[in-house]
Amino acid sequence: MIAIAHGLTVDPDLRARLADLYCAYDNLLNDGELELWPSLFAETCIYKVIPRDNVEQGMPIAVMYCESRDMLTDRVVALRETALFAPRIARRITTAICLRAIEPDGMHLTASFAVFQTMPDQPSELFLCGSCRDRVMDDAGTLRFAERVFIYDSTIVPTSLVYPL
Amino acid sequence: MDTAIPASTLAARTWPDGGPSRVPNWVYTDPAIFQREIERIFTANDWLYVCLESELPNPGDFKRAQLGNRDVIAVHGTDGTINVLVNRCAHRSMQVCMASRGSAKEFVCPYHQWTYDLSGNLLGLPFRRGYRGQGGMPDDFRPEAHGLQRLAVTTRHGVVFASFGAPNESLETYLGDRMLAYFDRVFDGRPLVVLGYMRQRIPSNWKLMFENIKDPYHASLLHVFLVTFGLFRLDQQSAVEMDDMGRHSVLVSRRGEQQSNDATNQMRSFRQNFSLRDKRLLDPVREFPGDATVVMQTVWPNLIVQQQSNTLAMRQIVPRDARSFDLAWTFFGYADDTPEMRQRRLRQANLMGPAGLVSLDDSEAMLLSQAGIDQDDDAACVVEMGGRDVVNEPHMVTETAIRGFYQHYRTVMGL
Repeated sequence: MIAIAHGLTVDPDLRARLADLYCAYDNLLNDGELELWPSLFAETCIYKVIPRDNVEQGMPIAVMYCESRDMLTDRVVALRETALFAPRIARRITTAICLRAIEPDGMHLTASFAVFQTMPDQPSELFLCGSCRDRVMDDAGTLRFAERVFIYDSTIVPTSLVYPL
Repeated sequence: MDTAIPASTLAARTWPDGGPSRVPNWVYTDPAIFQREIERIFTANDWLYVCLESELPNPGDFKRAQLGNRDVIAVHGTDGTINVLVNRCAHRSMQVCMASRGSAKEFVCPYHQWTYDLSGNLLGLPFRRGYRGQGGMPDDFRPEAHGLQRLAVTTRHGVVFASFGAPNESLETYLGDRMLAYFDRVFDGRPLVVLGYMRQRIPSNWKLMFENIKDPYHASLLHVFLVTFGLFRLDQQSAVEMDDMGRHSVLVSRRGEQQSNDATNQMRSFRQNFSLRDKRLLDPVREFPGDATVVMQTVWPNLIVQQQSNTLAMRQIVPRDARSFDLAWTFFGYADDTPEMRQRRLRQANLMGPAGLVSLDDSEAMLLSQAGIDQDDDAACVVEMGGRDVVNEPHMVTETAIRGFYQHYRTVMGL
């Protein structure tokens, strides 16, 4: 479900396509299909996972920072081929998705997210939560993220952030 | 969380035979050990890293930091010096400062409004003389005896250190000439710019973090990413150096050509056919004198200075209990960085922090180490790579710096 900011008129079909994009994003990552994840982004894009504290102070350092679909793919390959980490299940929920504005550079949306983590033989726990600032573009008939910024509320990441948000 | 072992058992702890080449598991689990570490390491006479001066540019600017288990306020005083004050009201021990940073003219405890100046002096308190002749503090109450606890502070080239005790040596003597030269290599006096923070909570003993940065043996084996892209290799020209006491150390590495050779054949981690699609992720540019491309420095007891290619960070170790610590990262660059260099630092930060393509291996390894350690207090870790002694080495196939750490640790801890 996509909410629409006051005063904005949007074609119901576009609204449904946006909802599909967000749903596909969550499902892809929930299903562990990391290799397909970059395909939801435009070739030139910004992907960031950044603590709220840095955003509030205008500081640019992000814990994940990619500037292209290729860089997203590099992160996936690096994760698959080179990283050591304990097995885990990450489950994400995105809600309060709202189309805020339609500008020449794309559709600007905000949302809230929560990611739960389940380590082997441990109870499920809230891992990170926060807000999204997104920009979506119509890429030759397919909606893709030109920008996805995940701003997590806590300053603290529990142990490690393995899978992308 | 901790299985309670009474402090009285500490006297019964005996370090296993083998000197610093053995580390008993109980140093990572025993709450009584942890308590003694807080007393003798984190709140004694050592210089602890607090923050960067550039985080407090103007008088009144403050930020909080955690030193050991103490919450402190670092504040740029009216006289231009940096003060470091314990965030604990002299009255009822309440934290006087709730904001994690900001600007203040004074600190007022929210509970009873005891008011302190930026040096921690008690300026006043409500109803000190009572009300209509009733109550009030005793006549001999001396405000000057009830300030916020103030630490000894020293700075070098923009980096702020503080000590709970009365350090009997300057920071320069504390570091020693060899370590000071590496410190000054990154902190050469140029103004610094903070690029942002990361923080992670790791369910392991804090010493495992320090050991990790004193252990070049793992870097070529665990960190497949580093190996694959030639950022850190066992067979590169490299060195492990310490100060005379073994408490501080550096790992120094020089980048070489990536080729399959005898060393890579021993590293199952070497991936020959893996290349980046977007080369901008790794586009290191030489920016320091000399040919070292990585210098990781540990400064006893709470600081790691990270220079990995063009990503620079202070990693502050904040111990929480025997089985948990926070790692607080402050990424920085120089005020005179070009926009390209600034961008490069942001990209290379992908290697570091809680999601770092290199450093997430470490946080996960520490989690798994602690889980292994927790199984048996009486077992001991073997630290014999490169011998059983504590000497500087012109190579990476050694755990000498871990032995140096424990040699000093045992002296301080009386173990």
